Amino acid sequence: MKIVKEALAGTLESSDLLVKVSPGSGTGLEVVVSSEVMQQFGHQIDHVVRDTLARLGVTAGLVVVEDKGALDCAIRARVQTAVMRGAEAQTIDWSALS
Amino acid sequence: MTDELDFYAVDPATSARERRDIRALLGRCGLDYEEHIQVFVVCRDAGRLVACAGLESNIVKCCAIDPDLRGGSLSLTLLSEVVHLAYERGHSHLFLYTRPENVSFFQGCGFYALAEVPGYVTLMENTPVGIRSYCDRLRALRPQGLRADARIGGIVINANPFTLGHQYLVRLAAAQCDWLHLFVVSEDVSFVSYRDRFALVEEGVRGIERLSLHHGSQYMVSRATFPDYFFKEKGVVGDCCTAIDLLLFRNHIAPALGITHRFVGTEPFCETTRKYNADMKFWLQGAGSTAPAVTVIEEARTRSGGTPISASEVRRLLRSRDLDRIRALVPAPTFELLREKYLSKILPFAPDPLGHGGEPDAPARRAVAAGI
Amino acid sequence: MKLRRSMLFLPGANAAMLSTAFVYKPDSIMFDLEDAVSLREKDSARILVFNALQLPVYREIETVVRINPLNTPFGLPDLEAAVRAGVDVVRLPKTDGAEDVELLEREVERIERACGREVGSTRLMAAIESASGVINALAIAKASPRLIGIALAGFDYVMDMQTERGDGTELFYARCAVLHAARAAKIDAFDVVWSDLNDEAGFLKEVDLIKRLGFNGKSLINPRQIELLHNAYAPTEEEVEYAGRVVAAAAEGERKGLGVVSLNGKMIDGPVIDHARRVLQRAEASGTRK
Repeated sequence: MKIVKEALAGTLESSDLLVKVSPGSGTGLEVVVSSEVMQQFGHQIDHVVRDTLARLGVTAGLVVVEDKGALDCAIRARVQTAVMRGAEAQTIDWSALS
Repeated sequence: MTDELDFYAVDPATSARERRDIRALLGRCGLDYEEHIQVFVVCRDAGRLVACAGLESNIVKCCAIDPDLRGGSLSLTLLSEVVHLAYERGHSHLFLYTRPENVSFFQGCGFYALAEVPGYVTLMENTPVGIRSYCDRLRALRPQGLRADARIGGIVINANPFTLGHQYLVRLAAAQCDWLHLFVVSEDVSFVSYRDRFALVEEGVRGIERLSLHHGSQYMVSRATFPDYFFKEKGVVGDCCTAIDLLLFRNHIAPALGITHRFVGTEPFCETTRKYNADMKFWLQGAGSTAPAVTVIEEARTRSGGTPISASEVRRLLRSRDLDRIRALVPAPTFELLREKYLSKILPFAPDPLGHGGEPDAPARRAVAAGI
Repeated sequence: MKLRRSMLFLPGANAAMLSTAFVYKPDSIMFDLEDAVSLREKDSARILVFNALQLPVYREIETVVRINPLNTPFGLPDLEAAVRAGVDVVRLPKTDGAEDVELLEREVERIERACGREVGSTRLMAAIESASGVINALAIAKASPRLIGIALAGFDYVMDMQTERGDGTELFYARCAVLHAARAAKIDAFDVVWSDLNDEAGFLKEVDLIKRLGFNGKSLINPRQIELLHNAYAPTEEEVEYAGRVVAAAAEGERKGLGVVSLNGKMIDGPVIDHARRVLQRAEASGTRK
């Protein structure tokens, strides 16, 4: 999927996360993760985010994640939603989400 | 399970009741109500207004939470809601001002500090890469082959409209520098549109060597960088409202381009501008930052028939339809454009449109009034 | 015989609640994509619920997804998400007639085939929220073999009836109609939510009423209500003791191959034995009433 506009998903509430995506200025994919549990889980969050993006076929853009201690399933869900919104996707390929 | 608090968006112009409740909440929190806020997110708990956050375009303002409900998760929900609302309204790049002691809270909400006046105020933006990627783009525009000790100048002008005075200042500065970076304020709230202002400047500085012309940005003389709304103690406003803008210039923009000197014209008519120029010396040259100092050079304005040339004088003459006198103050392209496009926009009996741009905007107007 | 006393509602857009609700151990958890989700978050709630359903903890509890009505733009995408994520039960809101259930069943089967899920493994429940729905309750309850139950939803129903929630008189006919339809179709019947979280006495009074009427259970919006409800549905020690003897006698009769089961010289028939089994099941789940 191609991110064509700025989009947002999620919240800053505990156990949730806010994901912002934008087309980005460069050509590649930039992921910036910030988390309340950065030291213990920063690497894992980054991995889940990148894995989710890869399954969606996102190869370019800026993805900023503000994590509040969310479970992996919530991280995946918020990244997927932000990408769908940013790609202006009208239909969902559910197989890319599971 | 349910979310018990009720969040919704409010247009303060259309609901007296909401406006009254917001004003009361802000009052309890020691904050002033901001007239220019276009929309609020409010939170009610069993009907009682317990939290609010406003948006003036892309600036988050008037964030308040009832003292009884602080310390919980309400603040995070409030910030989530206002950020969503801003996106819905087409604003993804957000700014906010806060007291330095609240910076860590907003850092937990995805905001990153841009500039701080210690003890008074911090400007934050909602992206970790905003100022960084802006400065990266500027850095890529650095001219090649300059000596390490080169004298590199910077000028920021609004050019509302571009006058012979601006042209004179740019030529004078260029002659004194190894390279000159000229920025046109991009906030589109002035009488002359940004597109026209930029085109006139481009035309007016053509042929001047060793000069780069840049578009302005949110980080430079914008709504975001002039926080004159923030403090109740009005005395502080004057000091801080220029400080943030100048610190951003010194700490980020000047280092990105290697700017060593900033040029500015004197403004004999206007107290605000004298103040701004004095502030410029304080914040660009003084001890308020660890970034290298930027030397401020004030140049006396060029004169026409004994009167210093200023954009505000040109606008005044336009208001009185005195085209002959304008002709002597501006380059020919500016004159043609004013006569053909902008003269007709001045309606007899209408309120003065010249000081105002499109929408009302006190901070940017103030910057524009300062003649930069 | 699945015990369905408590069905806990979770707003589908709330990540924190979706991540933690299983700890309250209701009999079923219902992820709501309909009324609890704002228009802005319909897409995000659907995707969040889809992902939450993959959590291993939700394999150990009955999961329900309330989709939006199929005549809205959200209904079918909600159904795709729920069926593909492996939800146990899809709850259809605003069911006015058997044709609503039949349409739902066709769509569910199409999605099951498309995603490789066993056809028929997605169960359904229908919520009745209007006068038409109440009148058609029996047809609705018999509309699909996938149905595990029907539920009465009070808020929309009283609006449709041009009245408002009160002491329960306003719901009396609807409760009885829904209950009879469910029993005739041999499926479960669920009562309305109790929304005043502070009125515990009112809640318990309503629970006592619907239990005596015969409802299997109730939809809940607060986890605090789960234990109260389970306790109210728990049998007394005497009931447990008697039920134990009934079930033992039945087993004895079966062992001896007797066509007739008797206890203390009295004949006991099928419905009594079924009732005794339900009593023991409730006791096993929540002990005896405190």
